[in-house]
Amino acid sequence: MNTIMMLLITFPLVFFLSLLFEGVDRKIHARMQKRIGPPIIQPFYDFIKLFSKERIVPVTASSRIFTAVPMIAAAASIVGAAIPIASLILEIGIGGDLILILYLLTMSSVMVMIGGSSSGNPYGAVGFSRKMTMLIAYDVPMLISILSVSFNCLSLAYYNIVSTQVGMKSLLAFARPSMAVAAATFLLCIPAAADAVPFDISEAKTEIIHGSMVEYGGPYLALVKLAKAASNFGLTFLATTLFFYFPALLEGYASVGLGALCLCLVPALILLLLTITVPRTVFARLKIGQAFKFYWLSPLALSIISVALSTLGF
Amino acid sequence: MDVAKRSRIKSPWLFHLNTGSCAGCDIEVVAALTPRYDVERLGCVLVGSPRHADVLLVTGPVTRQMLPRVIRVYEQIPEPKTVVAIGSCATSGSPFIGSQMIEGPPDKIIPVDVYVGGCPPRPEAIVKGIVTAAKSKFG
Amino acid sequence: MANRFDKTKEVKVDYTRFVVPFGPVHPALKEPISLKVTIRKEEILNVDIRLGHVHRGIEALAENRNLVQTLYLVERICGICSHSHTTCFIQALEEIGEIIPSERALYLRTLIFELERMHSHLFLLGIMAYEVGFDTLFMFAWHVRETVLDLFEEITGNRIHHSMNAIGGVRWDLPPNLAEKVNDSLKKIEKSVKYIQEVFQDKTVEKRLCGVGVLSFNEAHELCVVGPTARGSGVNMDIRRDRPYAAYDELKENFSVVLRDSADAYARTEVRTFELLESINLIRTILDKLPNGPISKEESILKLMKKIPEGETVSTVEAPRGELLYFVKTNGKEGLWRLKVRTPTIPNVLGLKPMLIGSEIADIPVTVASIDPCMACANRITVVDQDKGEKKVVNCENLRRRGKKQ
Repeated sequence: MNTIMMLLITFPLVFFLSLLFEGVDRKIHARMQKRIGPPIIQPFYDFIKLFSKERIVPVTASSRIFTAVPMIAAAASIVGAAIPIASLILEIGIGGDLILILYLLTMSSVMVMIGGSSSGNPYGAVGFSRKMTMLIAYDVPMLISILSVSFNCLSLAYYNIVSTQVGMKSLLAFARPSMAVAAATFLLCIPAAADAVPFDISEAKTEIIHGSMVEYGGPYLALVKLAKAASNFGLTFLATTLFFYFPALLEGYASVGLGALCLCLVPALILLLLTITVPRTVFARLKIGQAFKFYWLSPLALSIISVALSTLGF
Repeated sequence: MDVAKRSRIKSPWLFHLNTGSCAGCDIEVVAALTPRYDVERLGCVLVGSPRHADVLLVTGPVTRQMLPRVIRVYEQIPEPKTVVAIGSCATSGSPFIGSQMIEGPPDKIIPVDVYVGGCPPRPEAIVKGIVTAAKSKFG
Repeated sequence: MANRFDKTKEVKVDYTRFVVPFGPVHPALKEPISLKVTIRKEEILNVDIRLGHVHRGIEALAENRNLVQTLYLVERICGICSHSHTTCFIQALEEIGEIIPSERALYLRTLIFELERMHSHLFLLGIMAYEVGFDTLFMFAWHVRETVLDLFEEITGNRIHHSMNAIGGVRWDLPPNLAEKVNDSLKKIEKSVKYIQEVFQDKTVEKRLCGVGVLSFNEAHELCVVGPTARGSGVNMDIRRDRPYAAYDELKENFSVVLRDSADAYARTEVRTFELLESINLIRTILDKLPNGPISKEESILKLMKKIPEGETVSTVEAPRGELLYFVKTNGKEGLWRLKVRTPTIPNVLGLKPMLIGSEIADIPVTVASIDPCMACANRITVVDQDKGEKKVVNCENLRRRGKKQ
């Protein structure tokens, strides 16, 4: 009974928090450009407005895939972002749920990509090929760094890794050198997973008119944007709790549970600002070849070093 | 005012269509995004695809080559939508009236809700035009 | 008896190529131009350029209006370089009618000309940054540009379409307090331009601009490109120095022509940023040397218009995008027989094809922006077939083919 009630609270909580994080991201981005920017609750207005628009499915699209994709993407993202939160509140860990979280968060990007190619627009096809290349580029270092974390903590359960930090009374990123390298790799992969400049190549507005999202409008666009926002929130929350779980430094009851969850939200927001907003403001967009080369040089090398160090015991 | 109407007024997304203007009005539309006038504080975003838009900003008298494109772009925008004609050319076609290459000001082809006059109108006038269109059509 | 259906033809379909339409309605292009790009994966194999979407029949309209009405029509050929168009037209009329404007009027014309060059180059730097996804630099460059537009508003009354020129002189004078304001604003603008130069040397921007859209010196010479597009490829041409007009005769030592050799989009951007600094120095010199005197003739515009006899002439100016050429033939009765405008974008657009073939899709907006296209200027081509009495708009391919035949 308790579990079911927790689940009923977690999904709206994820929805609310992910749109709030997006609002803060847009506001800070505008302030860094010397502008005022939209109010923080702007994404809620956007979401409700998009749901009240007309539903259009283009003639050239395969309509079943086209209409099903936004729902699957949004559902996958929200569940993927809700698993860490529910895990922290209920204080249970299921073996292998770290892989499940990453799978769900990646699946929402793959779904959007498929939706773009099913729309029948040549820009959607270009967006599909670009996103495929980017997935190969950034997913590999990300997964290898997560593997290195699980080698170190000897478990693939998300909650076990968090409680290891509570047990050690220190943040995982500062505990061992291999973990610091793994944290750096994971953080480097977040801008590509979040489609933020300089790696928003598959959704470039000025080159391929939003890529995969070009033919989506109305409720479908609302769900696709929700999928993206939830995936960004999920990734930053995961990175914060895996590597920088601040409540571990506190004593007693504050280390786990609902209170600790609230304490993690502000660091998650700061991490979002550092890895998504600041690169978005400060860099130009790279070309697909350049981004691919970048990810297969430094982050991949760093992730392999991290695995090597953690098997050696550092 | 119920939530859906308030949301539509608070987040009008713009699509800019140049139907053959001299680019004076277009650079004032883009200048409305810059820090001095900042139309994004009202929730407006300049989107790239007509499928994402609510407000269509039309500049220029419609030339013969742009006529089918104007009709096609207007049909691609999902309801509810509103059209704002920006500049003297889009309002009445002047000073190109009488030319054989002009199919007429845009309101002969698509229904226009708000006219913003000027050659070119200042960005503040354009922002007021967008807000008036959103409030009257979506409110 | 052989059935005609027996013949089977082997049709080879190349599934690896497809055509991506770029424009005329595209978020990267503020003005309509149609490019049909044939690509394989991300590499461009062929480009088909089509102009004509902004063709409003201005030359046809000009034949039915008197000279002052044509002046206001010609100003609206393009919003970004409107003063260049009016200056060129007025110069042609003054040459036919042998009207010599006063020194102060010529200096004021040059002042607004250089201010317009600054506003156009800042516009383009912002648009280049926007095309590579660098929104912050776009916002910054356009914020600086607002200072220049404020100066326009103080001097002439409008931000765009200033209508500063009149037959025989200019319409607005520059009182001393305004000259002070111009000087102060120039200091701020100079600091910001130097900052923009530094930001353009940032790593991510350099990766997008270097080696992109290369137009070699020989190609630039053959295609007769003009303006910063040519100067970026090493072609040494500038109408302000070669055929001086307005007050440039006396200002020859005060500015230098900026040339670069690398011939890519980065070189063209560099040419424009250095030209901005040259313009700032030139404006300071103009304000120092501004002579006293009247700004227009004593006779009214109507009398001056009646004085202009029948005649024809060609006049050129250096617009922000390159050489602008007008052929004006008046009919002695306050009207025109013929007006022909050749804007700098027409030869520059021909340079797009060698620039784009072999590069990637991501390079298209950057290349198109680096030649600084002003499509509203470029849609002037009409071919009248006298036998059939029909008019049609010709695109670049046909023009080039005809040019080669002759």
